[in-house]
Amino acid sequence: MRIIGLACVLGGWVIAVAGLFIISSNFGRALFASGGILVTVFGMLGVLNRHYLDRAIWKK
Amino acid sequence: MRFQKLKALALLAMLVAGPILGFATLARAEGTALTDKDLSSIAGPKSDDIAAKGDPGAELTGTVNDVTISDAKKGLTLADLVNQVGQDKIAINFVWTLFTGFLVMFMQAGFALVETGLIRAKNANHTMMMNFMVYGLGLFAYYVCGFAIQMGGSAPIANLGGVYPLNHEFSINLFGKPWNLFGTKGFFLHGATYDVGIMVLFLFQMVFMDTATTIVTGSCAERWKYSAFCVSTIGLGAVVYPLFGNWAWGGGWLSQLGVNFGLGHGYCDFAGSGVVHAVGGLTACAVAMQLGPRIGKFNRDGSPNVIPGHDIVLVLTGCFILAFGWFGFNPGSTLGASGNGCLRIGSIAVNTMLAGCTGSFGALLYMWMRYGKPDASMAGNGLLAGLVAITAPSGFVNTLGAAIIGWIAGILVCLAVEFFDRVPKIDDPVGAISVHGVNGLWGVLSVGLFADGRSNYGGSWNGVPGSVKGLFYGDAGQLVSQLLGIATLVGVIFTLSFLWNWLVDIFVGQRCHPKSELAGLDIPEMGALCYPDFQLKALDYPAASSVSNEGSPVSSKH
Repeated sequence: MRIIGLACVLGGWVIAVAGLFIISSNFGRALFASGGILVTVFGMLGVLNRHYLDRAIWKK
Repeated sequence: MRFQKLKALALLAMLVAGPILGFATLARAEGTALTDKDLSSIAGPKSDDIAAKGDPGAELTGTVNDVTISDAKKGLTLADLVNQVGQDKIAINFVWTLFTGFLVMFMQAGFALVETGLIRAKNANHTMMMNFMVYGLGLFAYYVCGFAIQMGGSAPIANLGGVYPLNHEFSINLFGKPWNLFGTKGFFLHGATYDVGIMVLFLFQMVFMDTATTIVTGSCAERWKYSAFCVSTIGLGAVVYPLFGNWAWGGGWLSQLGVNFGLGHGYCDFAGSGVVHAVGGLTACAVAMQLGPRIGKFNRDGSPNVIPGHDIVLVLTGCFILAFGWFGFNPGSTLGASGNGCLRIGSIAVNTMLAGCTGSFGALLYMWMRYGKPDASMAGNGLLAGLVAITAPSGFVNTLGAAIIGWIAGILVCLAVEFFDRVPKIDDPVGAISVHGVNGLWGVLSVGLFADGRSNYGGSWNGVPGSVKGLFYGDAGQLVSQLLGIATLVGVIFTLSFLWNWLVDIFVGQRCHPKSELAGLDIPEMGALCYPDFQLKALDYPAASSVSNEGSPVSSKH
């Protein structure tokens, strides 16, 4: 789960940077960057954090 | 008739001779150059006068006598004079950069007070000691390799003399573009880096790095094993922080987005909303996530409890110290007070002050309207959020932009504290993730929106001529650069921090024993109480908070 989460986080950055090479317009690049940020945040809070929440001390 | 002829000739002669004489005079004026001989006639006060009378009116001090003469036989020459002017400029910049660096160093005391005030008295020694040792640990790591990784391949800095042996950057070629990744000169500050200008730069950059490392201690307070804290801090100061520092400030790939891809002026972060605060805040998030919440922070149903801090006086005093230190943080980032647009320091200082002010207003009003009370710790929180947010744009925006950025930050920090408590349930005793992480990212974004294109630091920024302009002033490319900076912070820097601290967890163990946590970390971890003369009263936090929770679920945050 942690590996998947980290892959998601890093994958978001790859999406953001890939926009530089795929598209030349500022609007398109901004869309790629924003999409990448969303994927990254999902990886951080939705995947990685869920792994730790499932084992949280207050659930025991 | 003859008289008229003579008159006409005289007029003609005047018409011809006038311009000739004028040009001759002008040519003489242009040709007149100051020589060493002219300087010899300038006399300063006699030393007997100064010795006998003193100089209470400052009329005899700072004269031609004080200009350094290279050859006593020749006396004062033009070369001496010009060299003195150059040295005066660099001296002003050295003193300015060092002085502002000292101010930033003092921010460590502010952080220590804020964090210690916001945690329970039973952990005060532990939290204070983390804040104290973060300085030494971070400094050492940065001296060994952090500075070299960050600045080892950066361009010469004219404000600090321009002599620059930090000239090698590790770079790869990707799709035909150079991607500068890290510097390779300056390890242990040895060899050619034993240079007056580099020492000034090292001190200034080092205290910035230390600010980033001290952010983490707040989020992880009251449950972090001290040994784990030591190892974690070294990793942040040695590698993670310097890497992003290089990409933003050391000539790295983010700063080159303007040159390589035509995206505005590349990633712009004047004083470090991203480099310092977001790096610290995201690392804090990674470690707090791994540590898990403190015992008693969440109920079995997942609802959050308030765990109040033990001294609001410490908290607000710390906030004042931090606000004071920020005048070093932002205006000092010009790396000088003379030349290359450095006179903008006044504007930067006012922007800093304004954003802090509107930030505390924003937070105060939000809390007052939402919970019916003006929460003191959140007002302090808003001040810090405004200051964090203005750190990146402080050198590029006008006062209106600064006020808006700060105000939004003040509200954003309240929303973020509530969000982290309720949705991902990441326990952050001092709200550092919200203050530094979230608002650090907001600060980075705001450059791409509010930069007004009026700043001019030597005619270019990140190798791109002209001033930095945001979307509202006509440059959408700058916004894209800033978004890529944010993506890199949350994508790469968070990942690196997470991986490093995962290793620390495996080999050292991040979290202290639950018994130690319940007893308070002062004795189990540090061997001494912070307040040995006082009897500490243990509170049943879930029960005690049930009342205050209705009023302000975030009142324990700073």
